[in-house]
Amino acid sequence: MKGTKGILFLGALVLALLCLTTAASAKDTLVVADQYDATTMDPIAHNDVPSSRACYSIYDTLIFLDGEGKVHPGLAEKWEFLSGTAYKFYLRKGVKFHNGEELKAEDVRYSIMRATTDLGAPITTYSQNVKDVEVVDDYTVIVHLKKEDYSFFSSLAHSWGSILNKKYTEEAGQGFGMNPVGTGPFRFVEWQKNNRYVLERFNDYWGPKVRFERLEVRAIPEPTNRTIELETGGVDIAYPIVHNDLKRVAENPDLVLYRKPQTSVTYVGFNMTKEPFTDKKVRHAIYAALDVVGIQAASYRGVGKVPNSLVPEAIKYSIDSEVPVHVQNQKEAEKLLKEAGVKGLKLQLWTNERKERVDSATIIQAQLQEVGIESEIKVLEWGAYLSGLQEKTHDMFILGWVSTVPDPNFAIAGLLESTSGSNYTFTKDAKIDEMLAEGRGVPDGDARAKIYKDLQLYINELRPMIYLHNDESIAGTRKNVKGFEPRSNEIHSFREVYFE
Amino acid sequence: MVKYIVRRVLFLIPVLVGVAFCVFTLLYLTPGDPAKMVLGDLATESAIRDFREKEGLDKPFLVQFGNYLYKAVTQGDIGRSYVTKRPVMTEIMATFPATLKLATFAIVIAIVLGLPCGILSAIKQYSAFDTVTMILAMIGLSMPVFWLGLLLILLFSVYLRWLPSSGFDTFKAMILPSLALSAQSVSMITRMTRSSMLEVIRADYIRTARSKGQKESVVIWVHALHNALIPVVTLCGLQFGSLLAGAILTESIFAVPGVGRLMVESIKARDYPVVQGGVLFVAAAFSVVNLLVDLLYAYIDPRIKAQYR
Repeated sequence: MKGTKGILFLGALVLALLCLTTAASAKDTLVVADQYDATTMDPIAHNDVPSSRACYSIYDTLIFLDGEGKVHPGLAEKWEFLSGTAYKFYLRKGVKFHNGEELKAEDVRYSIMRATTDLGAPITTYSQNVKDVEVVDDYTVIVHLKKEDYSFFSSLAHSWGSILNKKYTEEAGQGFGMNPVGTGPFRFVEWQKNNRYVLERFNDYWGPKVRFERLEVRAIPEPTNRTIELETGGVDIAYPIVHNDLKRVAENPDLVLYRKPQTSVTYVGFNMTKEPFTDKKVRHAIYAALDVVGIQAASYRGVGKVPNSLVPEAIKYSIDSEVPVHVQNQKEAEKLLKEAGVKGLKLQLWTNERKERVDSATIIQAQLQEVGIESEIKVLEWGAYLSGLQEKTHDMFILGWVSTVPDPNFAIAGLLESTSGSNYTFTKDAKIDEMLAEGRGVPDGDARAKIYKDLQLYINELRPMIYLHNDESIAGTRKNVKGFEPRSNEIHSFREVYFE
Repeated sequence: MVKYIVRRVLFLIPVLVGVAFCVFTLLYLTPGDPAKMVLGDLATESAIRDFREKEGLDKPFLVQFGNYLYKAVTQGDIGRSYVTKRPVMTEIMATFPATLKLATFAIVIAIVLGLPCGILSAIKQYSAFDTVTMILAMIGLSMPVFWLGLLLILLFSVYLRWLPSSGFDTFKAMILPSLALSAQSVSMITRMTRSSMLEVIRADYIRTARSKGQKESVVIWVHALHNALIPVVTLCGLQFGSLLAGAILTESIFAVPGVGRLMVESIKARDYPVVQGGVLFVAAAFSVVNLLVDLLYAYIDPRIKAQYR
C-alpha cells in the first residue's frame, strides 16, 4: 500500500511541475485552428479549401477579390480588355519573390501555362480556356483565351492564378508543393503534415506588411476540441465552429463569433434521365410536398437559410431575395402527381454520412409519405457515393456545391452544364448551355445580369433540384484578435489581422 | 536460437505478401474512383482519363498488383502519394515518429500502472484495494477511447487548464493522448498480472519458499513475479503492436499527426498508394514487435530456449 501511495504522489508531483511550466504565448504568433490540413501548397495541384487558404497567404494573384467579390489590383497594377479573348495586364515593378528574385512577365506566363498541363488537372475548369500568354515586355502580359469568357477574369483571383517563380519552381520539381515560394505576405517556414504549417512575415512584401511575426495553422479535425482550444487560448482563431458550440462561443466574453453567408448550396437533386423524374410535373410535385423551410431549420439548427435560387445571395446577380420563399402544398403535390399519371411512387434517396443531410433525408422521407410516395434512404461513404452517382442508378440525392470563385457562371455551370463532370442530375438542356455560354461572353454589367437572372428563373421552372440550405462561414476568435472576418468562399485572409 | 530467429524472420515474407494482396484486393473492390476523388469536381473527363492511365489504374487487377509487388521487392518502391506526389515511405516516416511516441508512452503508462496494481491486487485478494482496482479496470476496459479522451480534455484542459487539449509537439501535449490510449492496456495488464500472480502464489514451490522462511518480499518479487510475468510479457507485446496500429481514434481526437490519421485521410481521399503502404508498414511493425516479444519470451522462459539448443 505504501508503494502505491508513493507512485501516486510522484505522478501528481510530475504533473504539477509540468503544469507550472506553461510558456507564455508570444503575441507575435497568430495560431489558427483549421478543420483539415492542406493537401499541397502547389496552387494548381489541389481543389480543396484548406490548401487554397494556405496558398492565399503564400502567393499573390494578378487581381484580388475582396470579401464582397469586388476586383482590386494585385500583382497587376491595371489591366485592359483588348477583346473578349485577350486581357492585357500591367505588372507592378520591384515585386520580390521569397527567394529574392524579382517578378517578371515570364513568371506570369510560366505560372498560367503550367496550370494548363497535367499538373493542373484538379483546376482544369478554370484553366482549360487558356490559349496562350504573350509576354509583351518584362512587366506586361496578354492572356489569350480560346473563346470569350468574362468569368475567367474573376477566376484569376482564385489560388489557381497564383504567380510562381519560374526558376525556383522548375528546380524544385515534384517537391514544390511541400516547399513553396511565392510573392505573398507570408513566407513558408515548415510543414508537419496533418499537424501544422508555419509561415513567417515576408519583410520585402510589396504591399501592406503583416502586423505579426509568425502564422501557425494547426489541423484539429475534432470540432469540440477546436472550440476548447479557442476557449483555453491554445489558438487565436478557430473555424469552422459547429452549431453545437455556437452558443458557447457567442456567450464567452473572451471570444468573438463571426458568421457570414457562404457561397454554397446544398440541394436535393433528381436523376433527370430516369423515369418518372424526367417529367417536370413529378419534380414539381415532390417540391410542393416538402416543407423545405422546416427541414432546413430542423436539420441545420439555426445555421444558414433556405435558398430560393441556385446562385447564393453572396454572389452577384443572384435573384435569391427576389423569389418568394417556398410554401409546402400537399394538395398541389397530389394534383401534380395525378396529372403526371404517377401512382404508388417508390424511390431511393441517397446521401453521404454528413449528419445534417441524413436528418434532412429522414424528414423528407416522412413528408413524401404523406403524399403517398414511399422512399428508402441510402447512406453512403463519400467515395462510394460519388461513384454511385456517376453510374446514374440513383433516383434522388442530397449533395452540396461551393463556388470558390464568386461568379454566377461557376455557381451554375458545374451543376447543370451538360458537359460538366459534377452534373449529377444529368441535366442536358440546350437552353441552359446556351445561356451559360452567352453569360460568359458578356462583360459585367446590366446585360450580363439579365442573362443570369433569366437563367435562374428558368432553372427554378425546370426544377432539376430542390434547394435545401445555404451554409454560413462561422469562425471564432479571441477578443484581442482584430482585423479578421470570415469570407463567403471560406478562403479566409490573415493579411489584415493584428493583436490589440 | 539463431535458427529460431531466422525461421521467424522468413515467416514475415508470406505474411507481408498476404497482407499486400488483401489490401490491394479490398481497395480494388472499394467503390469510388480514385482519379475523381483526387482531382475533384472541377477536373474534366479527359484529365480524369489521363490520371487513370498515368497511374496504371486502367490496367487489370493482377497486372496492377504484379507491378506493385515487383517494384516493392526489386526497388523498395511502394509508390508515390496521388495527392502530395511524395514517396509513400516519406509520407509514412513523417508520421510514424508521432505514433511510435504515442504508443511507447501509452505502453509505459500501462506497464507502470498495470503491473504494480495487478501484483498488489493479487497479494491483497478481496481487499478494498483489490475491489476498487478491479472496478476501475472494468471501467477502463469498457470505456470507449473517444469518450475517455473527451472527459480528460474536459477535466485537464477546460476546468483545470493544466494541459493542452490537442497537438503533440511538447511533452505536456503528449500526456492526455497517452493517458487516453493507455486506459484499456492498463486494465488488461492489471487483470492479467493479478490472475497470473494468483495462480503462481498458490503453487507448491511458493509454499516451499515460504516454509523455508524466505521473506515475503523475496517470495513475491523474486520467485512468484518471474513466472507470473511470462503471459504478461506476451500481452504487453501484443498491446504495443495494437497501439501502433490502432491509435486512429486517439490521434483524431487529440489531433496527433500519426500514421492512423494519415491512413484515415488517405482512405477518404482514395490515396491508394498511401493506404497500401500504410497497412503494409503497420503489419510489418506489428510482426516485428511480435518477433521481439517471442525472443523476450524465450529469454524469460528457459524451456523455450532449451527447445532450440
